[in-house]
Amino acid sequence: MKYFARKFGFFVATLWAVVTLNFLIPRLQPGDPAEIIVKKLAGKDAALDPAQVRAMRAMLGAPDGSLLQQYATYLGELVRGNFGLSYSYYPFKVTEVIGQAFWWTVVLVTVTQVLSFAVGIVLGAYAAWRRNSRFDSVVTLGSTFLGTLQPFWIALLLLYVFGYTLGWFPTSGGYEESTPGLNFAFIQEAVSHSFLPALALLIVTPIGWILGMRNTMIMNLGEDYIRLAKAKGLPDRVVALKYAARNALLPSVTGFALALGGVLGGAILVEQAFDYPGLGRLMGEAVENKDYPLLQTLMLLTTVGVLIANLVADLLYGVLDPRARRAES
Amino acid sequence: MSLLDVKNLSVRYEPKAHRPLDAVQDVSFSIEPGEFVGLIGESGSGKTTLGTALLRLLQRPGRISGGSITFDGTDITDLSEDELRDLRWRDISTVFQSSMNALNPVTRVEAQFRDVIEQHSNLRGHKVTERIKQLFDMVIIDHKFVSAFPHELSGGMRQRVNLALALALEPKFILLDEPTTGLDVVVQHSILENVRRLQAEQGFAVLFISHDIGTVLDLSDRILVMYAGRIVEEQPAGALLAQPLHPYSKGLLGSYGDPRAETVRITYVPGRPPDLSLPIVGCSFAPRCPERVARCAEVDPPIVPLGAGRAACIVAEAQQREGGSGEHGEPRRTFEGPQFVKTAEESTQALRGDVVLSVENVSKVFTRRRGLAVQRTEAVTDASFVLRKGEVTALVGQSGSGKSTLARMITGVDSPTSGRIVFHGPKGDQEVSGFRGRSLRDYRSDVQMVFQDPYSSINPAKRIGYILARPLANYHGLRGDALRERVKELLETVALTPSERFVNRYGYELSGGQRQRVVIAKALAVEPEIIVADEPISSLDVSIRAEILELLNDLVQSKDVGILYITHDLLSARMLADEVIVLNNGKVVEQGQTLKVIRDPSDAYTRKLIDAIPNPF
Repeated sequence: MKYFARKFGFFVATLWAVVTLNFLIPRLQPGDPAEIIVKKLAGKDAALDPAQVRAMRAMLGAPDGSLLQQYATYLGELVRGNFGLSYSYYPFKVTEVIGQAFWWTVVLVTVTQVLSFAVGIVLGAYAAWRRNSRFDSVVTLGSTFLGTLQPFWIALLLLYVFGYTLGWFPTSGGYEESTPGLNFAFIQEAVSHSFLPALALLIVTPIGWILGMRNTMIMNLGEDYIRLAKAKGLPDRVVALKYAARNALLPSVTGFALALGGVLGGAILVEQAFDYPGLGRLMGEAVENKDYPLLQTLMLLTTVGVLIANLVADLLYGVLDPRARRAES
Repeated sequence: MSLLDVKNLSVRYEPKAHRPLDAVQDVSFSIEPGEFVGLIGESGSGKTTLGTALLRLLQRPGRISGGSITFDGTDITDLSEDELRDLRWRDISTVFQSSMNALNPVTRVEAQFRDVIEQHSNLRGHKVTERIKQLFDMVIIDHKFVSAFPHELSGGMRQRVNLALALALEPKFILLDEPTTGLDVVVQHSILENVRRLQAEQGFAVLFISHDIGTVLDLSDRILVMYAGRIVEEQPAGALLAQPLHPYSKGLLGSYGDPRAETVRITYVPGRPPDLSLPIVGCSFAPRCPERVARCAEVDPPIVPLGAGRAACIVAEAQQREGGSGEHGEPRRTFEGPQFVKTAEESTQALRGDVVLSVENVSKVFTRRRGLAVQRTEAVTDASFVLRKGEVTALVGQSGSGKSTLARMITGVDSPTSGRIVFHGPKGDQEVSGFRGRSLRDYRSDVQMVFQDPYSSINPAKRIGYILARPLANYHGLRGDALRERVKELLETVALTPSERFVNRYGYELSGGQRQRVVIAKALAVEPEIIVADEPISSLDVSIRAEILELLNDLVQSKDVGILYITHDLLSARMLADEVIVLNNGKVVEQGQTLKVIRDPSDAYTRKLIDAIPNPF
């Protein structure tokens, strides 16, 4: 119990540091959003009217006062769940903007991560078990080759082949005419729109898991407990799964929990390539438009996601590896 | 019909990057039901490969390249994995060498019994639990450990659990591959007693693989001696002890002394076993054999019935044929090789040497903070003793007795919680715990360490010459020719001759004994007053052990250094040490002249240690 308390305390402390950094970092960047918006409205060559800029600042609710005051206000609003208005989607609230993109990304990335992990672990374990077989060579060489490719490049390739040339899948957006919600037409559209982005991610993400799992498992296969399990006359399936894979899985689990934490960051490049209405694309837009409230909230979301995943990984490891559990107590 | 019948078995390794190697060559033997057979040989003799082949667990690049294994009437040489499965564990089980790792670390002990019991028997559910408890009773382990994880058990307990696991299905045959290597003598002794008792009760047959001829003689009915991939002798234990046939067996027996004798005399086999990847003409043992005749270099000796068993030696065969009166003379019982002799007189002399270091009422308490609570562990309690010049003092105790903690304090790594350690060096009396920075550095040139594992105490990326030159350059400021000269001298001191051949080699190119010599040379480089040797021979083969003991003994005589010899083995302490200090739970329970302590121990714990020494004589 003390272990959990300590881990949780650590979590809270890190969270505070993250929130503070999240407040500071955007303020260190050069450029004034109000000026940019005015410039955009007035046209590039027009001279800046200070009055217009002031008016724009007031409209955006841009903070004034000292940095410390701003920080206090920031923390206060944060606790109340008020993240402010988006500059680029004015006058929508940041929470609303994010709310619309949230599920698109969460579903897409979670599904691909879980599938990647499952596929990677199974392929890696099987390649290790049948080491030096043809299957192993194909998987290992194939992974090393595909691992050098970038997901967004694959995304462009998929778009060209399946989107433009063959026309099997839509090339942009998340849905067409249907009303978002739990109805058949919408789900069908969402799935067909998500298919290519998911595929682009699925081609590359399992590779890390495959190679990692294969290597740890090959190392574990040399252990005495594996020899003993074979000498016990247990079926291959049991030796491979309960003895070899169960032990080889441990390092991957932590990695997987962390990967899931990164889900909220979305897959920026892939989402942009497909113009997919998710958090990744939103983040790209927020950066381009210096939309501080949106950017800050997105960053906060991402880091909190990673933090929670970290906590889960720590706790999960204790459950999976009894040796770690002893170190706790 | 024999239970296990091995005929002309050969095992070949064919690695891609190296020459193929026949690790087991044309081996034949059989084991009767309920028989306890010992298999002895040095590392690299092929004994573990033979065991693995019997279990049909060889992995690529190794494979059975000839001969047959018949178990209980079934030829299992080419049996498929599926057909073997029914035989495994129900009929043939095993306890492996490094059992620290033989249990799956992530599942409870119970599950590892349950899977194999359910696989091979009709027991299910509660009945399996009952059986596991029954097995735990056999090996004398508390039932509460049934649901423990492997890391929660001590080394000895883990090995008992492995033994219980091997017995789970009442097999007809158990292969024990060095089951107690790496455990304390006392624990080792009690486990082997346990094995022997269970074997007598349950009547399973055993093939016991070991490099320790003492335990093998103690336990086995019949003994197979393996050398360079072949069985060179097979005799009942008593006959092997009384009348060994093969010179190699004589050599192994010679490496075993009686610790109670006034003068301990052990012989050792010079040289190293042959490289099995190169063709061998004649007898593979001939280059190391004191009894060889000209014909040994030409004829590959076949194994033929001799004495009470079989042997592969043309000299022994001729002696038997001629009845002792022919040109080959009488059969000898001993190995006419280099000898290491330790007399009681030497020790008496040594005890008159000057005191170089004294440990006065030293205690060491380790505190560990856990939240607010502080946990105190007393590792050493009120220990007092002295080290003398020209004397070997042995610090004997099992793991956890505090001997390593004492060594760390003597070398200045840790300081005592109370009491003091005084070094009586050339600069007068100095307290060791007061050394800092410069003075600690100077002290390091007075006290040197030799560690247990010569394989990991030499930097694998550097040549031997460099390794020996570093301390010389650091402490004595030697450069250029003077440095090179001194390195050569050092190599010659530890009998690595001709020194030119070793200067430019890497540690991994040398054998275990040679490496340990390099480590000793490194310790000698700074001309220390004291050498702390932590189990310097326990990871070496018997024939090499004697060499290293001899070397250390010579150094004490000629260089006038004091050696603190740390060990868990009273027998090796007797061979080297003049004085012995017995440590139990951090306390010195007994100390005195080695021979006196061994002959007439006053403490119960010392008696326990002495009883644990296998005594085949």
